[in-house]
Formats: sequence, structure tokens, C-alpha cells
Amino acid sequence: MNPVQSLSIAVQKLFGRQRLRRIILGSIPFIMLLSLWRMNTVNEWLPPVFIPPMASIIEAISILQDECTGIGGILTMNPGCLFTNHVLSSLGRVGLALILGLPFGIAFGVLAGMNRRVSNVLEPIGVFANAISGIAWVPLAIVWFGIGAMTTLFILLNTIFWLVFFNTLLGVRSVPSVLENSVLTLGGSRWNIITQVYFPGALPSIVTGIRMSMGFGWRALIAAEMIGGDSGLGFMIFVSASEYKIEEVFLGVIVIALIWMFTDRSILVPIEKWTVQRWGMVWRPS
Amino acid sequence: MPPKLVVQGLSHHYPDEYTGEDVHALDNVSLDVDEGVFAAVVGPSGCGKTTLLNILAGLLPYSVGHVKVDGIDVTGPGPDRGVVFQEHAILPWRTVARNIGHGLEIQGMASEERKKKVQEFVELVNLTGFEDRYPHELSGGMKQRVALARTLCADPVIMLMDEPFAAVDAQTRITLQEELNRITMATKKTTLLITHNVDEAAFLGDKCFVFTRRPGKLKATILIDIPRDRRVWKDLLHDPQFIEKRDEILTLVREEVSPHGDD
Repeated sequence: MNPVQSLSIAVQKLFGRQRLRRIILGSIPFIMLLSLWRMNTVNEWLPPVFIPPMASIIEAISILQDECTGIGGILTMNPGCLFTNHVLSSLGRVGLALILGLPFGIAFGVLAGMNRRVSNVLEPIGVFANAISGIAWVPLAIVWFGIGAMTTLFILLNTIFWLVFFNTLLGVRSVPSVLENSVLTLGGSRWNIITQVYFPGALPSIVTGIRMSMGFGWRALIAAEMIGGDSGLGFMIFVSASEYKIEEVFLGVIVIALIWMFTDRSILVPIEKWTVQRWGMVWRPS
Repeated sequence: MPPKLVVQGLSHHYPDEYTGEDVHALDNVSLDVDEGVFAAVVGPSGCGKTTLLNILAGLLPYSVGHVKVDGIDVTGPGPDRGVVFQEHAILPWRTVARNIGHGLEIQGMASEERKKKVQEFVELVNLTGFEDRYPHELSGGMKQRVALARTLCADPVIMLMDEPFAAVDAQTRITLQEELNRITMATKKTTLLITHNVDEAAFLGDKCFVFTRRPGKLKATILIDIPRDRRVWKDLLHDPQFIEKRDEILTLVREEVSPHGDD
């Protein structure tokens, strides 16, 4: 066995064969994009005003963070940390909106899922509100709340609440009634049914709802920050573009995508794996 | 000793879900089951068997007649009547052990005591080693063993079973029928089994209630006096007493089956 073969086997053992294959296949489009980007810089197809070189984007971070003083400065959102402040501002708003929106979305969804009357009241208004959720609300929100945190929070809550509400509702309705009956005949109370049947039964839908609402919410937030925000990544992109700092725009866009990828892969997918996949409730590609 | 289950003059109508037509499901049904007896309700499809079970379980309100379990009127679902459903009734998000202990958990039994009790029933239904598995990892027959153990573990006054082995393959069904016989004999549990399978009713039942087609009426009550410990398929298939009783039930049921099959 030559050294290349033993190295290959060692790498496969370290990451796992399936996982390694997935990582390699998944990175092909990224490598192609990055190569094209690099070729553009070398061959000067499009000028740097349109597509800046990769190095200038790394440089942009250090320029923005120039007056920042270490981790402490980043965490306390020191005014010198221009870049990380925008990142933390966006993340903080999504976090706050999730903390406020998820419990209500799930609670109303379960309630509407088990009670025809509640769903008859909430469903039409939900469909109405869902159609205009996201950026359509921005102009009105600016009139009501002005430019800033309240406007972006309003947009986010609007997106998160209705998506989670609808997914939870559908999830509860999809729970077979024999499960409810079996717990009732074991002497279960209404509350037992909600916590032990409806909630876990609706969990695949709820997780989908959370993933969707975070995806849509994140996009809505960026849009809201551009028009009605005073900080955040969307705001940063918008301001940078108007000042022709194209590398900052690129930086912002890439970071927006990376943050979403990380959240979905490292937080939401594991949640799904540890609950609904373990219970055999979702189809798993082999 | 008064009977554990008493049904008196029970009739039931309901509007059809799609057509709105009035369906007369049960007509003046009276029957009773004594303590420790295994009773089977057998009849053609659409004879109101499932309606009867749902009423007994308290899942379906009734207006005409009386249903009493241990002398108390049935007004809704309760832990005094455990139900084993046809299939897919155990919770997919609970392990085997937690499904079996679910009734005791609802009753508020302390965790240590519950674990001991659950282990006892895991062994009774031959699921040792599968305590921490989730239902999707089990075969259909094993899932029904879990459902059976879950019902028995909660220690109901009477166990109601709704075609529990209809969805498993023929070989598994035979094994499960023999095991159900052994387990109800061991636990002396009063049981009412709903089935359309004449062999199953005759094999398991001490008392078989034969129903007419809709509206379901009690057509005949057949007593089968074969000791429970002799009920093994290999022997019963050649037992003249079993064959006679089975044929008697079969004849009664076949008179009710429409010549066009399912109606």
C-alpha cells in the first residue's frame, strides 16, 4: 500500500465514507464558482467595480473591524466593530423574533389544529396575512414604527408567526385519530393528549415550519433592514452599495448565506435527526 | 358475582358521513360478560361490531340503552376499559418500554415501581431486549404485542380488542392468537374481542356473540367449553368439539353475508 492509499483510507475513516462523498459532491458547485471568480480576476473579464477580487473581501473585514478591540469589543458591540455589529444586530433580531414568535405560533397552531371553531376563525385571516407577510408590510411598518428595530421586528414576527402557525396546524391535523383514542382509553386527559400526542405528532411539521420561517424570516429581515433598518447586514449592504464599496456588498451577501447555511445544517437539521428521524416519522434518502 | 360488562337494549343510529343518510348500526343489543371470560363478537363486515366497540370504549356517545362496566355507566373513555386497536395505535415517539408504561405514567405511578411493572409485561409478551426500540424498528406482530402489553399493564377491568390481528400475516396471526390465549389465561383478564374471523373467535372465545348484518342484532350466543390450556392450533384443528362449534358459528355468520360479498 502506497502512502497515498493509506492517507485516503485514514481520511475516509476520520470523516466516514458516506459523509465524505456528500461533502465532496456538495462542494463541486462552490469550487466551480470560486474558480470562475478567480479566473475573472486574473483575466479581467469584468472590472473590479463589478466583481472585486477575493482578497479585497477579506481586506474589507479588516478595514471595517479596524477600530475593534478583540473578542470583548465584538461581544459588547463596541462602536468600532463595524462589521460584527451588523452581524450581531441581524442575528439578535432573528433570535428575539423567534423567542417571541415560535411559542405563540406553535400554541395557536395546536389549538386551531384540534378545534374546528378556532381554525375557522384563524385560517382565513392567516391566509390573508401570509400573502402579504414579508416585505409588503415594510412601508406601512415604517409609517407606524419609524426606521429601526421595531419595524424589522414587526416584519420578522409577521413572517415567523404565520408560517409556524400553519405548519403546526397541518401537523396536528395529520396525527391519526387512533393515537388520540388510544391515549384517551388509557385514561389520558386533554393536556396529556396535547403534550403526548398532538405536539410530538406535529413535530415533523413544526420543525419544517421553523426551518421555513427562519429561511423566509432571514430574507425578510435583510429586505426590511435595507429599507426600514438602521443597522444589520441588509442595512450594511444597502449603504455600501450606495457608496460603491462593492467588496463590502459581496462580503455582506456571502455572510448572509453562510450564516443561514450554518444555522440550518448545525442547528435545525440535528434537531430533526434527534426527534422525528429517530421516531421513523420522515422519509430518509438512503 | 355480577357480570363485568353488561349491555342492555343498546341501539345506535348515525348519519352517513358522505350521503347524510341515516345508518342504523345497532338494534337492541343485550349481552353480558362475566369476570375472567374471553368473549368474542363475530359477524359479517358492516354489522356494527366496530360501532359497538367504540361505544363500549366510550369513544362514541350512545342514547338508547345501557352500558355498564363493573356496575358503572359508561359515559366516556376511561382506564377501566383498555382498548387494543387494529394497528398503528402505539405512539411512534415512545420506546417500547415507555409505550407499555404509558397508562401507569398517566395514573401517576412512581418511576421505579413503574419500571418493574413494565419489565414484567415486556417479559409476558416476549419482547425482552426490545425495551428501548422505537415502533418503526419493530415488525407488525411485535407492534401488536406492545399494544397488548400497554393495555394489560394499565390493568383495566375489561380489555376490548378491535380486530387486533387483522393486519398481520397469517403465520404471525396464529402465533399471536396462541399467545393471546396464554396471556389472558395467565392474567385472568376479562376480554371482549371484535373479529370477522370465525376461526379466531372459536379459538379464543369462551363465549361467542354472533351478530346479524346491519342493523346489527345479537343472533346467537355460542358457549365453547374447551379448557384454555388445551387451546393450541395444532391440537384444536383435529378436536371434534372445536370443529363442531366453529362450523356452527360459520353457518350462522354465512347466513348473514350478502351473496354479493361486501355490502
